[in-house]
Amino acid sequence: MRKFFPVEDLARDSRFSKITIADRMADQRTALNVNVDADGPSKRTNNMRLTPSRRDASDGARGLMHGIFVGEIQALEGAGRTCWDFETGTEAPFALKLDMARQCWDEARHVEISVKLSDWMGSEIGQYAENTVLFEAACSSDPVLRLAGVNRALEGLAIDVFTTMKEFGDLAGDQYLEFCEDWMLADEVTHVKMGSDWLRKITENDPERRKKALEFQNVVDKLFSYGGTRSDSQESPIGLARRFRELAGFTDDEVEVIAEVSMQALNERKVAVGQIREAKRLADQSAHK
Amino acid sequence: MTITVTPEVFNYVWFDAEVIRSIATGLVDALGMNDYDVIIEVDETTPLSGISCEIGDTIRIRACSGAFEDTRKPRQQSETATATSIGRVLLRARDRLVGGFGEAPADNDLSLAQVAAWETYSLGRLDRLGVPTNQQRWRYNFRNRLGFTDATDGAFEKIWGSDGLTWGELCAISETAIPSAAK
Repeated sequence: MRKFFPVEDLARDSRFSKITIADRMADQRTALNVNVDADGPSKRTNNMRLTPSRRDASDGARGLMHGIFVGEIQALEGAGRTCWDFETGTEAPFALKLDMARQCWDEARHVEISVKLSDWMGSEIGQYAENTVLFEAACSSDPVLRLAGVNRALEGLAIDVFTTMKEFGDLAGDQYLEFCEDWMLADEVTHVKMGSDWLRKITENDPERRKKALEFQNVVDKLFSYGGTRSDSQESPIGLARRFRELAGFTDDEVEVIAEVSMQALNERKVAVGQIREAKRLADQSAHK
Repeated sequence: MTITVTPEVFNYVWFDAEVIRSIATGLVDALGMNDYDVIIEVDETTPLSGISCEIGDTIRIRACSGAFEDTRKPRQQSETATATSIGRVLLRARDRLVGGFGEAPADNDLSLAQVAAWETYSLGRLDRLGVPTNQQRWRYNFRNRLGFTDATDGAFEKIWGSDGLTWGELCAISETAIPSAAK
C-alpha cells in the first residue's frame, strides 16, 4: 500500500465537489462588515455567530454540519495514514499508532453520525463543496508535525465547532443535534489530549522539533481561522471553546495564542476585502467619469 | 411586464443576468403576476443567502449572491436555488397583493416563526409548480422555529399541502404547533 497519500488522490465519488484553500481565497465576497460602502456605513450586522436567532440559522447550521461531515472523513483519513505512513518503533511508537487507530474508530463513527444528522437537517451528501485543507494538514512527513496539525489544530477546531453546534441544538430545542454534538465533542477532547500528550512526550529532549511542531500548529490554526470563520469575536460564526480546550490539555497561554491568531486572521481578511472593495469602487468611479 | 436584473455583468461571482431574468419571467408567468414589473438587484459582494421583496409600483427584489448560488460549486449559479429564492418572495408578494394577508406585519416585522410558516406555505406551492424542493430542509427550518414536536410536524404537513390560505388561517395552523407561533 502506498505511503504519504497526496490530497488530490483522496477517493470521493461523483457526489463530492472539492475546493482548495486557494479557491476559497479567490472568493472576494465576505459576510463581514468591512464598512466601505460608497453611500455610507454598511448596514450589515456585525454579529455573525451561528445561533438560532440568525435569520439564516437553519441553512447556516446545515452548511456547518456538512463541513463537519467532510472534516470527519478527512480526520479519519489523516489518522489512518499516520498508522501506516511511519515505521513502528523507529519513526512512531506502537502506542501512538494504537491511539491513532482508536481515533480512526471514533472518526468513522462520527462520519456515520454526521450523515444521519445531515439527513435530519435536510442536506444531501456532497451538497456543499468539500474544502480539503484539513487533510492537507495531515500530509507532513514528520509524525510530530502531523500530531500538531491534526490532533491539536484540526481537532481543536472541531472542539470549537462542536461546542457551537451543541449550543445551537440546545437553544433551538433540537435534542438529537445537541446530544450527538455533545458525544462527538467528548471524543474530540480525547483526540486533542492524545496529540498534546504525544507531542510533549516525543519532543521531551528535542526542543527544536517541538518548536517546529508548535510553529506548524500556528500556521494550521491560522488557516483554519481563514476569513474570520472562528474567533472570540461575535463577527465569527464559530466561537473559541476555551473551557473544552482547557479540558483537552491546552494551557491558558496556548489558548491565548490561538485567540490572537484567529483575531489576526479575521482582521487581515477585513483589511484585504476592504482594500479590494475600495479599489473596485475607485475603478467604477473613474469608468463613469 | 418587464424584468430588470442588476448588475448586468457580475464581477465577484459567475452569475448570468439573462438566466436570472429568464427564471424570473417563467415564475411571474406561472404565478399570474404579469401586470407587475420586477426589478431584481443582486448584492454580489456577500455570500449570505438573504432575499427580500418590496412592493410598490414595481416589485423590487433584493438578493444576496448566496441566494442564487450552487453550494456544491461556490460562486457559480444554481438555477434551482435561483428559482426557489425568487419564487418564494414572489409568492409572498402575490399573497399580499391578492388579499387575505392584509393583517400580516411588514416583512421586516415578521417573527422568525411567522417567516418559517410563510416560507413553508410558499415552498409547498412552489413544489407543486414543479420547482425542485427538498422538503426535509424546510421541515427542519419549521421545526427550528416552532419546536421539535409531533404537533409541529402536523402543522408543517398541513401548511405545505395548502393553497389559498389567508394570513389568519396560516397563523391558526401554526398555533396548533405552539400557541405563540403566530406572534
